[in-house]
Amino acid sequence: MLSFILRRLLIIIPMALLVVTLTWGLIRIAPGNFYSSEKKLPPAIEENIRKKYGLDKPWYQQYGIMIFNVVKLDFGNSLKYQGQSVNEIIGRHLPYSATIGILAYLLALVVGLSAGIIAALKQNSIWDYGSMALAMLGLSVPNFVFGPILVLFFALGLYWFPPARWGGFGNVVLPVITLSAIYAAYIARLTRAGMLEVMRSDYIRTARAKGLDEKTVLIKHALRGGIIPVVSFTGPALAGLLAGTVVVERVFAIPGLGNIFIQSVLNRDEPLTLGIVAFLSILIMIFNLAVDISYGFLDPRIRYE
Amino acid sequence: MANEVEIVKGASLWQDAWKRLLKNKLAVFGLVVMAIMAFAVIFGPMILYWATGFTADGIPENGDLIKSFPPSLLHPMGTDEAGRDLLARVLQGGRISLMVGVISTFVSLIVGVSYGAIAGYIGGKIDNVMMRIVDMIYAIPYILIVIVLLSVFGGQNTPGWIQYLSETFGGAGNQGLSQIFLLFFALGLVSWLTMARVVRGQVLSLKNQEFVLAAKATGVSTFGIIFRHLVPNTLGPVIVYATLTVPSVMLTEAFLSYLGLGVQAPFASWGSLASDGVKNIAIFPWQLLFPGLTMALTLFSLNFLGDGIRDALDPQTRKF
Amino acid sequence: MAESRFGRSKILFTFIVLCSLSAGCLTSANSRYFGETTPPKDNILRYVSGGEIESLDPPVTNSQPDARIMFALYEGLVEIHPKTLEPIPGIAESWETGPDGTQYLFHLRKNAKFSNGDPITAKDFVYSFRRGFSPALASRNAYLGYYIKYSEAYNSDRSFVKDKSGNFLLKADLEPKKDGGQVTEPAAAQSTGFGADTEFNKYIKGPERLTVPSDKKERDALLAKDAKLSAAVQGKEFVPVKPEDIGVEAIDDYTFRLTLYQPAPFFLGLLSHQYFRVVPEKVIEKYGDQWTRTENIVTSGPFKLAVHRPYDVLKVVRDPNYWDAANVKLDGIEFYPLDEATTMMNLYKAGSVDALYNHTVPAAWFDEIKQFTAEYSLQPEVADEFYVINVKRPPMDNVKVRKAFALAIDRVSLAKFRKTLKPLVDMTPEGIFPKYEEVREKVYSEELKKQGSSLEEWKARIFEPEKARKLLTEAGFPVTPSGDGFACPSFPVDKVNITYNTAESNKAVAEFIQAQWKQNLGITVPLKNMEFRTYLPLLNKVDYDGFARKGWVGDYMDPYTFLSLYYSENNEGSTGWWDPKFDKMLDDANKTVDTQKRFEMLAKAELYVMQQQIIIPLGTNTTSWMKKPYVKGMYPNPGTLFPWKFVYIEPDPSKWTTDMDTIMKDDDPVVTAQLAQLTASQDAMERSKATKAE
Repeated sequence: MLSFILRRLLIIIPMALLVVTLTWGLIRIAPGNFYSSEKKLPPAIEENIRKKYGLDKPWYQQYGIMIFNVVKLDFGNSLKYQGQSVNEIIGRHLPYSATIGILAYLLALVVGLSAGIIAALKQNSIWDYGSMALAMLGLSVPNFVFGPILVLFFALGLYWFPPARWGGFGNVVLPVITLSAIYAAYIARLTRAGMLEVMRSDYIRTARAKGLDEKTVLIKHALRGGIIPVVSFTGPALAGLLAGTVVVERVFAIPGLGNIFIQSVLNRDEPLTLGIVAFLSILIMIFNLAVDISYGFLDPRIRYE
Repeated sequence: MANEVEIVKGASLWQDAWKRLLKNKLAVFGLVVMAIMAFAVIFGPMILYWATGFTADGIPENGDLIKSFPPSLLHPMGTDEAGRDLLARVLQGGRISLMVGVISTFVSLIVGVSYGAIAGYIGGKIDNVMMRIVDMIYAIPYILIVIVLLSVFGGQNTPGWIQYLSETFGGAGNQGLSQIFLLFFALGLVSWLTMARVVRGQVLSLKNQEFVLAAKATGVSTFGIIFRHLVPNTLGPVIVYATLTVPSVMLTEAFLSYLGLGVQAPFASWGSLASDGVKNIAIFPWQLLFPGLTMALTLFSLNFLGDGIRDALDPQTRKF
Repeated sequence: MAESRFGRSKILFTFIVLCSLSAGCLTSANSRYFGETTPPKDNILRYVSGGEIESLDPPVTNSQPDARIMFALYEGLVEIHPKTLEPIPGIAESWETGPDGTQYLFHLRKNAKFSNGDPITAKDFVYSFRRGFSPALASRNAYLGYYIKYSEAYNSDRSFVKDKSGNFLLKADLEPKKDGGQVTEPAAAQSTGFGADTEFNKYIKGPERLTVPSDKKERDALLAKDAKLSAAVQGKEFVPVKPEDIGVEAIDDYTFRLTLYQPAPFFLGLLSHQYFRVVPEKVIEKYGDQWTRTENIVTSGPFKLAVHRPYDVLKVVRDPNYWDAANVKLDGIEFYPLDEATTMMNLYKAGSVDALYNHTVPAAWFDEIKQFTAEYSLQPEVADEFYVINVKRPPMDNVKVRKAFALAIDRVSLAKFRKTLKPLVDMTPEGIFPKYEEVREKVYSEELKKQGSSLEEWKARIFEPEKARKLLTEAGFPVTPSGDGFACPSFPVDKVNITYNTAESNKAVAEFIQAQWKQNLGITVPLKNMEFRTYLPLLNKVDYDGFARKGWVGDYMDPYTFLSLYYSENNEGSTGWWDPKFDKMLDDANKTVDTQKRFEMLAKAELYVMQQQIIIPLGTNTTSWMKKPYVKGMYPNPGTLFPWKFVYIEPDPSKWTTDMDTIMKDDDPVVTAQLAQLTASQDAMERSKATKAE
């Protein structure tokens, strides 16, 4: 087990470099550059800029310099936001997204798991239909619609919460609810399906036959196996949430990483994009590793060679 | 055991499932709504044009009519700010949204399920490599993939077969629609990833069960074990996940449209109609209400249908 | 069955009522003002400033939103007038223009200080100007200052050519000698010195030197093409143009002299641009590109930086070291970097912000918002909206086809639809340069009469579908009636597009234009929406088919800022069109010192280029922004730029703004007094000059 974890941790480094390389290639293929604007630049000024950022060197040299720096975990300065290093930008904006993301996921877990379990236990009852209909609502109302509706009623109608911007606890409520809706819905549906699948499997039947009470069967056995799809989903979802969700950040004007990531791609701010991609890929791989490890705990039948 | 039944009289499984599906009221409701919706988006725009002359891109000639009117007999869903009939736009938007949903989910089903099942069953190094590839694709910003895809294959570089598809099914031989087809593939490209992970997780927990060991012992090929024994047993989560993919892909499309990478004006999708409408929610609520309701109704029905199919394919569920 | 259907529609009805209620509460809460209207207690203005600022280094910033923040933090030689944007004294107390219009002399204040207490002298301006042009800084705005002598040569890394005896090769040496061997340059050399007659002034007023690229490869390529030049530089030394060589000079600590190549009557107005604002040499030399960090930064404007949390807030507070700190009325300003229109409208309505930047009120909200006359501004802007045409690709290389498309757009309907766009058929925006427009009217009617047309006919181009169809038919694409509309089957629709970059308003306009052409010409031009950075190269390299959307915001208050778009072969007009005749018309105009004559010549040039119809004008932009009525001293000027020291918060509701449309004419005693005090020094200078002349 330990060697399995170690191997997986070690492989993260070349993987992240590969992701950075691919992203770098994509940025270079994509049309446009970071410095152009609607006012066309005189060629001399364009040349000054290209020289300043080493864009006049051959591509393999540029790539070499880039990858060498990435290995040192130094992504350099942002092209758009002059004088600010990529590491600094990520460090500064991650806490905002992470706060919102983790709170939203916790809320989604609580709501989603309870709704899913209730629905599975009382399959085809009013509880089942009710919670699944709610879940479906969470899925079919996009967050760019849900957020503004919340703002309209709770911020501009009732004046309970501020409509946007970062600040105290009040500022966090609406974005967290908006963000958690879709995840709660996913989790509810996946839990229900997973539980139903597990509850008719042999080992649950055995557990029941052994005369264990329904509660123990449910929590010790059914739930552990039943939330495997939820766990599979959690890895990448949580990584994505930590890195921010652009729509919610824009609607609520939160200075999170998600918006900055999208903007960096749209601005062709290469160092910033690469820095966030590297960070994100490491995050995703660590989370997925955690997921794979937890499979073993959740379902004793899963073994890693 | 279920598997033996399947092997002995496989043909009647589908008949049985169909019968069971028809007994499920909600599923039938879903099926009917989906059928109506499909008919409406395919033939609706033509019928509407024939009956009223309204099209999705028809801005009225009379300057005074270029504004957002509330619902009326003439415009049952009202009009948008350019005075275009919202019903026509919702019908036309449905074509794009449903196509986005169906194609991407199809890709996600085919690629994601087989990929995840193979990785999960074979395990070891191959599993490791396959899943790391998934991780990598996850980490690359899909916006970048879409930008590159559109710039490399878009415009004059659009491959002939994509143009053929867009001209045949899009209803207009217009470069804007080829972009949306490129988009379908881009979305399909990323939508299978989570599906693969979900399926792999299921297969990992199934592959040491007795029926798999039994099949192995009786000499069933690896391919047979994966696709005849393991995949059918993951159908529950897979169908649920597929029905989850449809809305998420539609929303991704709306987001890409918002960035200028999605559906080309004057055409719209449900997602882009809703995102336009929400900006004016306080002033022209109908601009959000009708596209939103249509989309919600469709997703609801799709979900009921998905659940119904899942239950119908799985005779054991009746025991609970 | 019927019952249940009723039930469902009832739910629907309730929902609609709920929604419209929410719409109602938008306005009903306070009928006079939009949303919460309570002045902030701490005398700190909260302003939504647009996208996150790129840098706090003035010459590096590029966009209008950035400029607004720069205006609070830095000051230049001149500041802008809060209403007209014309130059008023900044750190320069007064200034004089030289007799030939190529030199300016600025008299600086003796009490101007940086935020760390260091005095601001003419040397600081020399440093700031030189730094702006340095190739290492790679400022994208450097071209704004290219009128300054040798600045372009320094910025683009060029060299003078020196012979063995130490004489420099002159530009005139290579120009073909005109009749009688007279060249224009020596005349300038003999012109009387203006200000102190220093060594530097002799050099800079001397005949213009020739420059060639410093880079050997580039230079050799140039020499290979030009035999005459090659012979002239043979065996001579190449001396790179240094920062010391450009036309800026500190005569003493408080006198600063600028030298241009040729008269540029608009240049003084350009000097208020953040590119020309003064920066602290010591701090920059000490910290390098880290000097703009909150802990290092030193500024020169009425406010200094207090907090900068990117994407969240940038807060500035009054700088006690600022020379005019007593007249800075706000204690501070919080700039919020937001660009989501709905979000900022929500914040505004909730009373969490006091003012928004321009173009922020969504068109759909217009009918709702326009009743709040005390808060909403819809004034013409020094910016316009047009479609450029790729004149190099058929069928758009035919001027008749171009004219047909231009005439087939109902601009009045467009303006009604977009609300924030005023109909326009010319290149310069309407209602911005009233003096120029007056002259233009006259010139047009004379010129058009000569051509057998009339001013009325010219103005009718706002919408002429009949004529458009006729023109298109003449060009070989017959337009025939078909059903209710028209058809033009022979037109190659697959060779044209409307390309535009993603934005709600661009999409709406493109859809409208597409519908217009479909209705009036029977041609459905496909739309092509593009992500901004994908669209830019197409536009800048003129690599689009048919039409592309372009907007242009003037850099200074002179029609030349619009006309120069099509000046020179490598122009930024994005149409592929270039005409040396047009260049000459503009050059001649700018050499003219008399304003009236210059405007006449510019008007002729504008008519000339508009008759080529290389662009399709759509409209003049309008400001479309909001401010709370208690914010005063903030005017809807054509650039939506503010000299922040005039802005104040009025707690007394009886003195609040009542009508944004008349605010420009209304007299605000506070602002008037402040302006009078500020401009007194320059007025005195002009008076004394006038008496001397007599």
